Amino acid sequence: MAEKGRGDVLQGTLDMLVLKSLQLGPMHGWGITERLETGSERVFQVGQGSLYPALYRLERQGYIASDWGVTENNRQARFYKLTSAGRKRLTEERATWARMSRAVDLVLRMGEAEA
Amino acid sequence: MTMRSTIRDVLMRIRGLGQRRAMESRLDDEMRFHLDMLTEQHVRAGFSPIEARRKAATAFGGMERFKDEARDEYRSRLLDELGQDIRYAARVIRRNPGFGVAAALTFALGIGASTAIFSVVHGVLLTPLPYDDPDRLVVLWESQPARGNDRNVVSVPNFEAWRSRARSFERMAALVPLPATIGIAPGPEHVMGAEVSAGYFEMLGVSPASGRTFASNEEQNGGADVVVLSDGFWRSHFGGDRRVVGRTMAIDGRPHTIVGVMPPSFDPPRFAWLGDQAFWRPFGPTDNNRGWGRFLLVVARVKPDVPSDAALREVRGIAAQRATEDNRNEGWSATIVGLSEQITGDARLPLLVLLGAVGLLLLMAVTNVANLTLGLVRRREHELAVRRAIGATAGRLLRQIVTLSAVVGAVGCLIGFIAAVGGVRALVALLPLETPRSGSIGVDAPVMLFTALISVIAALGVGAVAALRGAHGTSGVVSLRENGGRAAARLRGGSLVTAEVALGLVLTVLAGLTMRTFAKLRTVDLGFDSEQVVVARVGVSGSRYRTPEARKAFFDQVLSRVRALPGVQAASAVSTRPFGGMAPATTLGDASAAETGDSVVADVRYVDGALFRTLRVPLIAGATFDSRDALDAPPRVIVNRALAQRLWPSQNPIGKHLRVPMFNGIVPEVIGVVGDVHLMDARTPPRGTVYLANSRFPMDALDLVVRSSVDGASVVRSLQSIVTVLDPALPVYQVTMLDDLIGRALSRDRFTAALLGAFALVSLLLAAVGIYGVFAGDVAQRRKEIGIRVALGANAGGVIALVMRRALMRSLVGVAFGTVGALLAARAMRSLLFGVGATDPVSFVGVVMLLLVVAVAATLLPALRAARVSPLVAIRTD
Repeated sequence: MAEKGRGDVLQGTLDMLVLKSLQLGPMHGWGITERLETGSERVFQVGQGSLYPALYRLERQGYIASDWGVTENNRQARFYKLTSAGRKRLTEERATWARMSRAVDLVLRMGEAEA
Repeated sequence: MTMRSTIRDVLMRIRGLGQRRAMESRLDDEMRFHLDMLTEQHVRAGFSPIEARRKAATAFGGMERFKDEARDEYRSRLLDELGQDIRYAARVIRRNPGFGVAAALTFALGIGASTAIFSVVHGVLLTPLPYDDPDRLVVLWESQPARGNDRNVVSVPNFEAWRSRARSFERMAALVPLPATIGIAPGPEHVMGAEVSAGYFEMLGVSPASGRTFASNEEQNGGADVVVLSDGFWRSHFGGDRRVVGRTMAIDGRPHTIVGVMPPSFDPPRFAWLGDQAFWRPFGPTDNNRGWGRFLLVVARVKPDVPSDAALREVRGIAAQRATEDNRNEGWSATIVGLSEQITGDARLPLLVLLGAVGLLLLMAVTNVANLTLGLVRRREHELAVRRAIGATAGRLLRQIVTLSAVVGAVGCLIGFIAAVGGVRALVALLPLETPRSGSIGVDAPVMLFTALISVIAALGVGAVAALRGAHGTSGVVSLRENGGRAAARLRGGSLVTAEVALGLVLTVLAGLTMRTFAKLRTVDLGFDSEQVVVARVGVSGSRYRTPEARKAFFDQVLSRVRALPGVQAASAVSTRPFGGMAPATTLGDASAAETGDSVVADVRYVDGALFRTLRVPLIAGATFDSRDALDAPPRVIVNRALAQRLWPSQNPIGKHLRVPMFNGIVPEVIGVVGDVHLMDARTPPRGTVYLANSRFPMDALDLVVRSSVDGASVVRSLQSIVTVLDPALPVYQVTMLDDLIGRALSRDRFTAALLGAFALVSLLLAAVGIYGVFAGDVAQRRKEIGIRVALGANAGGVIALVMRRALMRSLVGVAFGTVGALLAARAMRSLLFGVGATDPVSFVGVVMLLLVVAVAATLLPALRAARVSPLVAIRTD
C-alpha cells in the first residue's frame, strides 16, 4: 500500500516503471524506489507494500531475475535485473503507453484546438 | 500461455511450496535491508539514529503486513486456481450425482477391500515378531532327505550335540509342549504349557514382568519343579497378584514353585504343535528322555555375523557326524527355517493370493472410475471445447479433470477406509482359527500409510487415464464442430473393456479353482463317519495313576459307564482323535524280512477295541482287540490297508509280525486290517497306520469318542459327571463334535474360497457396469452413424450385431489376456489346490463362458437402444 504523498504511481504503470528503472542496470529494492523518486523529480513515492509484491510478481512472470549481491557500502542485498523477456515487455508497454498518453493528450486538447 | 510456460509455472510453484521457508527468510532479509537504508537516509537528514529508526519503521508501516502481501502475491494464483478447480469438481459432481455416487462407491469398494486384506497381511506376515532382532531366530529340524521328510522334530542327543558343537549360534533352546492338569480353585483344569530348556527366554530377548526365568542349573534331572506363568494365566488364576512369586502350584499333581510372571506383551512363538502356552517349566536332557526318540522343537539365535547358509552347513556337518556316531541317525540330516517363516508358514500363500486378488479388484475399480470420469468428460466435451476457445489452457483443463478424480477419489477413499476399519474386525472374526499372529492385525499407522498410498496411486491412475484418453477432447483438436462429425469413430474405452474382462477373468478363475478345491475337500472320503460323534479328552495325572493298571482301570470304568448312557450307540477311546493334530509316528518293518535303512514310517494310535465300530471304520480282515490284549500279554496290532499293502502286497497280513524299534523293539502280531483313515486332514492321503491296544499299553490321556442319537451337549454333560464321580480332580477338555472339528480343519480353505468368491462376484459386477458404460457411451456417440446405416437399409438385427461385434471382439482380446494371467496366477497358488489342476478345464472354460455372457449381457441394453435409433437422426443436427 502506498503512503500518502505527493503522488502515487498511476494504477497499472508500476510494473512498467520498475522495468524501466532496471533498464539502467541491476538494482536492489531500495535503489529502485530511489531511482523512481529521483527520476520522477519526487512526484512518485513508491510504497514498499506495492514495490515488493510487484517485484515478486515480475520475477515469477519471468520478466526480471534476482540474486544476492553486495552494495557499494558492502552490504548484502537482493539485486534485480531485467531478463530478455522483461526487455521485450518494457518495449511493448512503452509503445502502449505512448499510444495511450497521446490519445489522452488528444482528448484533453479537444476544446483547446477549436478555440 | 503455452504448454511450456504452464509447466514452468507449475514447477515454480512446486518449488515455491518446497522452499516456503527459503522465501520467508529472503523476504525478511530484503525488508531488513530496505529498513536499514531508510534509516540511513534519515540519519543523513539530521535525525538521531534512534529517531531515524523509529521514523523509518513508521514510514515502513509494519513489516509483517508487507511480508503478508508479498507472500500472498506469490501464492495467490496457486490457491485461487486450486480452489476454483475444487469448486468446479464439486459443481460437476453435484450436477452429475449418479457419477459422483458410482465413482465414490467404486473407489470405496476397491480401497476398503484392499485396506482390510492388507491389514491382515501386514499383521500376520509383515509385522516383525515381538522378540529381539527376530530375523536372527531360526527353527532347527532334523530331516530325512531320501524320504522327502524335511521338517522332523529332534531327538535329545542330537539337540545336545548341536547345542554343544555348533559355533554359528548365540543360543539354542529346546521346547516340548506340555498339556497338563492344573489344580487351582475352582476345579481341575487342563491347560497347555511348554517345557523349555535354559536360556530360552534370554534367547528371545524377553524378560519377566516379575520374578525370574530359569537358571541353567534348573535343567538338571530333567528340569526343576519351578514354573513361569503367562500374564493371561496369572491374571485369570491369581487375580494379577504380584506376591504370587514363591507360591506353589500343582502341575499334573506335582507341586511347582512359581518363580516368575511374563509381561502381557510376551507372545510366545506358536508353531508345529506349540499352541497357546499358559506356563513354562524347565526342560533338561536325562538318560531317560535321550532314549525317547525325536520329540523336541529346537529354536536358536544365529550369531549376527554368521550368514544363514554357513549356519545350515555347520548343522548339517554335525548331523553327518551324528549319523556315524549313532545308527539311529542313519539317513538323517538337518534343516533350518526362519522362525517367522515357520510361524506364518501355511498362512502365507493364501494371504498373498488374497492380497493379489484384492489388488486386481482395486485395479478394476480404478478402471471403472476412470471409465466413468472419461464418460463425464466426453459428455462435457462441448463445454471444454468452448472454454478452450475462449482461452483456457490445455494444462488447466487437464488439471481440472485430475482434480475431479482426486475429489471423487478422496471421498471414496475416506468411505472405503472407514468401511475397512469395521471390515477388518469382521475379517479377523472370519479368519481360520489356526491363523498365526491374528492378534497383531489392526488398522494401525502402517496400514493407514498403505491406504493413503494406494488411494493416491488410484486417484492418480484415474486422473492419468482420464487425462490421457480424454486429452484430445481438451487439446483443441475437437473444435466447436458437432460431435457426430466423426462418423466411424473407433470405440472409445475399448481398452477399458479389454482390461475389465481380463481382470474379471483372472479373479473369477482363481475363485473357481478355490471353490472347486473346497468342494472336493468336503467330499473326500475320510474313512470314518463323523456324524453325531462327540469327542472329549480326559487325562489322568498324579500318583494315583502311576501304574498302568490304575490308568487302564480308570478308562475301563469311564467307558463302561458312558456305554450305559441312554442314546449312546457306541463309545470308545483313542490316543489322538482324527484331525486332532500331530501325534506319534514310528519306523517299522516286517519282522521276518532283513532290517534295511529304508524302513516304513507309520502313524501310531493307541485305541480301545471298539474304536473302529464307533467311527464306522471298516474292518477288512481279521478282528479287533479284545480281552486277550491284557497288560502282560504279547503285543498285537491292527494295521490299516495302506500299511498292509505296503508291507505285504500279495500276502495275507493276518498273523504276520511287525518289528517296531521305537517301542523297545516289540514284535507284535497283526490281528486285523482296517480301512484307511484321514488322521491329519482331508488333503494328505492316509499313510500307513498301526493301532496298538490301549489295554496293553495304557495311556494317561485319551480322547473319548461317543456316537449317540441324542444331543451332543447332553452327552458331554453326562460324560463330565461320570469323570467327576470317578475322580473330582480330573478335567474333561477339548470337547467338540467330530463334525465341527473337520469343519474347522477346512476353515482356511473355506475362508480363501469365500473371499475369492466374493471378490469374483464384485469383479463381475464391476465388469458388467464398466462394459455397459463404455457401450452406452459408444452408442450415444454413434447415433448419427447408426442413423445413416438405418437410413441405408440396415435392420435392427444388423444394428444389434454391429454393437455386439465390437463388444465381443474386445471381450475376446480380454479373454486372451485374462487366460494367460489366470494360468500364471493359478500356477503360483497350485499348492492351495486340491483335486483340481492349475489348468482345470472346467474352471477355465466355465469362467470364460461366464465372462462372455456378462459382456454380452452388459452390451445388450445399449445394443437394443441402438436398434431403436431413427434414421431421422442422420439428417438432424444437435
